[in-house]
Amino acid sequence: METYIYAFLFCGFVCMVSQLILDNTKLTPGHVTSLFVIIGAFLDIFGIYDKIVLYCGAGAIIPITSFGHLLIHGAMDVATENGVMGLALGIFDLTSAGISVAVCMAFFLALMFKPKH
Amino acid sequence: MTVKFNNVYVSDSYTIASVYEKDGPLSSCFDKVYDKDLYYGEDTFEVAEEKLLFDSIKKLITKTNLVNKDIDYVISGDLQNQISASDYAMRNIDIPFLGVYGACSTFGLGLLIGSNFIDGKKANNLIVSTSSHNMVAERQFRNPTEYGAPKKKTTTWTATGAASILITNKKGKIRITSATAGIVQDAGITDVNNMGAVMAIAAADTIRRHLNDLKIDASYYDLILTGDLGIYGKKILIDYMNELEIDLSKNYEDCGLILYDINKQNVYSGASGPVCSALVLCSHILKEMEKGKYKRVLFVPTGAIFSPTRVFQKSSIPSIAHAISFEVVI
Repeated sequence: METYIYAFLFCGFVCMVSQLILDNTKLTPGHVTSLFVIIGAFLDIFGIYDKIVLYCGAGAIIPITSFGHLLIHGAMDVATENGVMGLALGIFDLTSAGISVAVCMAFFLALMFKPKH
Repeated sequence: MTVKFNNVYVSDSYTIASVYEKDGPLSSCFDKVYDKDLYYGEDTFEVAEEKLLFDSIKKLITKTNLVNKDIDYVISGDLQNQISASDYAMRNIDIPFLGVYGACSTFGLGLLIGSNFIDGKKANNLIVSTSSHNMVAERQFRNPTEYGAPKKKTTTWTATGAASILITNKKGKIRITSATAGIVQDAGITDVNNMGAVMAIAAADTIRRHLNDLKIDASYYDLILTGDLGIYGKKILIDYMNELEIDLSKNYEDCGLILYDINKQNVYSGASGPVCSALVLCSHILKEMEKGKYKRVLFVPTGAIFSPTRVFQKSSIPSIAHAISFEVVI
């Protein structure tokens, strides 16, 4: 039960911060998304984000910060096996499914639909 | 500088509005409403805007019982790259064409040029047109639908439609008496989502110069009408004018706040786009003048004349406003 509450609080907190940034700065949604990816990646230092995932579950996996965290994880995992080259080889290991699905879905949806309003 | 005209009259106008405008307070004033969707049977939004503009010019000519050769020029502009809605629409109309660009002030720019032609006896009848399309303008300047991002509350909502007006040297009820061309202003603002703040300074400068040149007070006009400043731009303009000791509290309104019902429709801080001020002027204000509600109206469409590329390079946004004065002939 606690996980649900933490998930709600953490994910809500991320959304609140991004809304505050959008309303009070000149940054565009593109900037904010990139910013959160970088923050997620930084939080992977000392495994902070892993701990957040442990407590908040999907609340930490759904927001874009998780993407940054997975980039670092993928890179570090392969780097421990293959050395420095592993950083480049592994960076998209864990996120490739997400990226592939996004690209393919965007393609098929664009074939099917037209913008309306 | 302000130019006075002696024999320039408004003959008639034709306005076409679309889905969002139909839900606004002026819905019954437009000559035609295309409200099925935003495509009007065309494949793309760009072609749809071309159709709006083409139809408004064609139907104005029919409405006034004229033929193409009676019209000396069509002066038109819009928000698409290379004003392509106007260029492409004019392919099928055999009238000499002058393409103009003044962003949302295009209609005022067209009226100013057209009035000079007629007053200088270089033309007898000419049509001034403009159009804009919400989805085209979003793709051109702001967030295309595909971007799927929330908008800021200072954002304005580009109106969809086309308006054409016929001005002539034959005596009519409404006369265009003078016009003041704008000077490009820059308030140092780089935010494309805050056009009201960008353009207010241009409106302030043009109104001030217009009143000074003619040595009249703001109260000379029954209505001073800016183009598309929106809620925030309107406040900023009133502030500017207070500092210049020009009182706008009684007779000032903004077209961006007339076209839509700001409280009911989700249009952020108001309407914008070149057709916003043109629709309000042609479908509402000029008709009210004929009915006798207003005798003198100063029309000040404002435009943010920026290039998206320069915005990405962090240049601040220049703006311009032209003032056109309409008076009822007694």
